[in-house]
Amino acid sequence: MAEINVLIIEDSEEQAQKLKTVLKKNKYNVIGIANNLQHALKLFYELSVDIVVIDVYLGENPDGITFAETISIVPNSIKPFVFLTSSKDRSIFERAKLTKPFSFLLKPFNELEVLYALEMALEKFYEQQNVFQSENENTIISNEFLFIKKKNVLHKVSLKSIIYIEVENRYCNIITEQESFLIQISLGKMKELLDDKKFFQTHRKFIVNNDAIQKICLQDNLILLKNNHKVILSGKHKDIIKKFQILK
Amino acid sequence: MTLLIRIFLFLICLNCFSYPLKKDYFFQINNDSIKSDFHKTKEFFIEKQWDSTLVYSHKSILTKHINQQKLDSLHFMRGYSFMRKKLFNEAILEYNLVSENFPEYSKILLNLGGIALEQNKYKKAISYYLKFESLAKKQNPKYYKSVESSFIHDLGLSYFHLSEFTNAEKYLLKSHSIQNQKQDTSVLIRTSTDLGNLYYEQYKDNLAIPYFLKAYNLAKNFHNLNLKMNTALNMAVVEENRKDFQKAIFYRKKFEIWKDSINDQNKVWEIASLEKKHAIAEKQKEIQLLELENQIKNSEKNKLILISILLLIVLTTILIFYIQKSKINKIISIQKEALNKSNNTKDKLLSVLSHDLRTSVNTLQEENSKLLENLNEKNYQIVKEIALKNSAISSSTYSLLDNLLHWISLQNDQLYFHIDSVDLYSVTKQIEYYYTPFFTNKNISFENLIPKANFIYADLDSLKIILRNLLDNALKFTNTYGKITIKTYSSENDNFQYLVIEDSGVGISEEKIDQLLKDTNSLQKKGNQKGIGTGLGIQLCKSMTKKNQGIFKIESVENEGTKMIVGFKKVKNG
Repeated sequence: MAEINVLIIEDSEEQAQKLKTVLKKNKYNVIGIANNLQHALKLFYELSVDIVVIDVYLGENPDGITFAETISIVPNSIKPFVFLTSSKDRSIFERAKLTKPFSFLLKPFNELEVLYALEMALEKFYEQQNVFQSENENTIISNEFLFIKKKNVLHKVSLKSIIYIEVENRYCNIITEQESFLIQISLGKMKELLDDKKFFQTHRKFIVNNDAIQKICLQDNLILLKNNHKVILSGKHKDIIKKFQILK
Repeated sequence: MTLLIRIFLFLICLNCFSYPLKKDYFFQINNDSIKSDFHKTKEFFIEKQWDSTLVYSHKSILTKHINQQKLDSLHFMRGYSFMRKKLFNEAILEYNLVSENFPEYSKILLNLGGIALEQNKYKKAISYYLKFESLAKKQNPKYYKSVESSFIHDLGLSYFHLSEFTNAEKYLLKSHSIQNQKQDTSVLIRTSTDLGNLYYEQYKDNLAIPYFLKAYNLAKNFHNLNLKMNTALNMAVVEENRKDFQKAIFYRKKFEIWKDSINDQNKVWEIASLEKKHAIAEKQKEIQLLELENQIKNSEKNKLILISILLLIVLTTILIFYIQKSKINKIISIQKEALNKSNNTKDKLLSVLSHDLRTSVNTLQEENSKLLENLNEKNYQIVKEIALKNSAISSSTYSLLDNLLHWISLQNDQLYFHIDSVDLYSVTKQIEYYYTPFFTNKNISFENLIPKANFIYADLDSLKIILRNLLDNALKFTNTYGKITIKTYSSENDNFQYLVIEDSGVGISEEKIDQLLKDTNSLQKKGNQKGIGTGLGIQLCKSMTKKNQGIFKIESVENEGTKMIVGFKKVKNG
């Protein structure tokens, strides 16, 4: 599990540091702080950012909105973001609202409000609502990462690092190259959100990362994976073999 | 002498056409079945419209299948018409086309005679007259009688012109005797004159003079001035030739008098015509005047109509404007009332606010000077207490200002508002985080009993404002060592999730609750309140709840505690 990378765009140094402190305390990694539009865009494209906190007003102008508009234009570069604003002035909001998905946090805010706003931004961005506040689910699945909330702390897990997933009742046991952990999510939702070209179900209880497969033993109904992991290939799911080019 | 003859000839000319026209014959033809050009010819002939008669008779003659009798009568009518138009040669041609069997042939002979006399063809005239005499006596004696005297006179005249005085004398005398019997004065005068002329020409003055005298005497009492003049002149010439100048002068004078009277008559005529002209001119003027008057009247009428139309338009416009204005006035008065009301509210708010702010800032000032004093004395325990107190004051002032800001934005509809699914647990936790130090400070035990993942539909920020205000209130009214609880319950009936903030404070009377829940914007200072506050908080809560389509309730038992309850729509599978 890794920390989530946050880019802060805030013209007030004091506010930025305060926010950084709060985020650090809650195990977020503040990857950069920008105080103007150009700097923000530079950092955004250079760094691997997971979420952006944007102050609407950078100096006199609502450059925060301009930033959001700019990153919204390139479809694959956009990341979840939260606007910080000190007033709910309609004129500003009408413009900010156009940069969807749209979430914001009113100043002044306390620690809990910041964390809630970040979680809400992730939920809205990946269109998986009411995940982190719910009692039985705590994971958002994106194309690259699993965002997992564990003990009020958000983590991310790269999908590439997953070897396989084993389902145990209401939990999924995620086995990565480095570690393994339980998350509360249904197999159905897991399958729905994971890319079916990269992850296959091989058994009632197993989902396997295609890249982690090293050997398929049809006789033993076994699949050998990285790090000497093994999963069962059930008869029902044998047709996944067709997805491979078989050398004869 | 020639002058005399000319005068006489003139008289004769008048005579030749004076034969009366017998209309009976033409009425006989009326019975003919052909109502045609022939018929029209006849009608025009009777009406003496000679040109039309000529045109239609020509058309009739060109018609085929016309019998000899009709043809004769057509030619007769044409001849007669030409004769009346003095086209004698054409008349003769037409008369010659009439067959001798024509019943009225004698008339044609008479007319031909008249024409010949007119053309000075006296021999021809005599032959026609003689033919007429023999034919008419046989065929049409009645007609012959009626024209006898004038016909014989004309015959005599013809002989006279041919200087066959014996025959002339015979016929003129015959004519004279007939006229004498008939007492036909005008013709008698002429015949007498002619006889006079006849004898005078033969130098039988003794015979001539009595006739002239007779003519003169007859004419003297006759109305025709021309006859008077001529006879007088004849007498004058005769007397002059007799060298009886006295008489000649007498007759000349008579002639002059009658000539003058003719002139006078002419003058009278002239004057009359002048007068007539004048009268006509006068009338014309009058007519013009009347026309002008009419024009003026018309123009006045038009003006009147125009003015009335204009007036009508103006009146209508005024009416429309009036109605519009009264409508606008109505709207304005309603708006004014609303404006006054809201302005009053704002004034009240402003006065209360400024008073509260003044008080709290003043307190802060005093506390700060105390703080400085105590710092100098290094009395740190008291410094800490004062600092805490100050922070409480500033935080409540801040929340007041925050409420004010929200209130104003809400009034101006300037607030961004977006209802979404919100987790009640997370939100209460976030607000609780802010209040925890105050609870601790006041030794109030606080409990949040809301279960996790409790989703409602609300605008996040307005929900936060409501929560903050309700907690502010609870904090204010709860005594030290009191208890504040946040909990929730849902109602299956209305699908609402209710949030309850319960305190163990002083409570609110029923009356006060009613006042608070009244849907007015009026603000009042609460009686039991020591700190700052305007009632703005509770009004804001009400308005915000309403905007979230929620329900706001207050339940309270005095001296036991108050429950502030806010209901929101539940998210169904939340």
